[in-house]
Amino acid sequence: MNYDKILEELNVIFISVLDNDDIKINGNTTAADYEEWDSLNNILLVVAIEKHFKVKITSADFQSWKNVGEMAKTIETRLNQ
Amino acid sequence: MQTGDKFVHTFEVTPLIYERFIEAYADRNPLHVDAEYAKARGFKDIVMFGNILNGFVSYFVGECLPMKNVYILSQSIKFAQPVYMHDTLEFNAEVTDYIEVVKSYGFKFYFKNQAGVKVAKGEIQIGLII
Repeated sequence: MNYDKILEELNVIFISVLDNDDIKINGNTTAADYEEWDSLNNILLVVAIEKHFKVKITSADFQSWKNVGEMAKTIETRLNQ
Repeated sequence: MQTGDKFVHTFEVTPLIYERFIEAYADRNPLHVDAEYAKARGFKDIVMFGNILNGFVSYFVGECLPMKNVYILSQSIKFAQPVYMHDTLEFNAEVTDYIEVVKSYGFKFYFKNQAGVKVAKGEIQIGLII
C-alpha cells in the first residue's frame, strides 16, 4: 500500500474516531488542526490504526510523529517490512 | 492479561437495579413500566432497560479485571433479545487485542440468559492509567 492510499484510509479512520465528517487530512495535518483530536482520541486513533492496518506501532514511533505524514510513513514502512 | 483470556460473570436483573435505574434516569417509557403495553406488543412482560446491561459492563471493567487502573475508552452494544426482570445473565468476555503503545485492551463480549439465548453483544476498548 502506498503513502497516498494510506492517507486516504487514515482519513476514513480520522472521520470515524473524531466523529467529524468534514475532516480532510494531509501530510501536514496535526492535532492542532482539529479540536476533537484530544488525548483520548489520540489513543483511540492509534488503536484504530493498529487494528485497521494490522501493524505494530512502537513508543518511539508514537513519540516521533510530528504530523499525519510521519504517521503515514511509519505505517508504510511497517506494511512493507 | 493477554489476548485470548476469557472472563465469565453472572448477573441478575433485580428489582433493585430496575427501580434505581428509573430513579436515576427517569425513563418511564411504557415498554419498561407498563406490562399491559408491553404484552400488547408481543413481549411477555415489561422489558428491562438495555442500558442496565451497560451497567453490568461497567462492573466487569471496574471490578472483574485483574487490574484496577482501568478506564473505558469506548464501548458498543447490540441488543438482540429482550431482557426481563429476574433474568440471570451470563456475561462472557474475551480479550481480543492489546495495543501496547497506548496501553489499551480490546474485548468482545456477549450476554446470554438462563435459557442460553444471546441477548446482547458488543465490544469494549479500555485504557490503563499509568
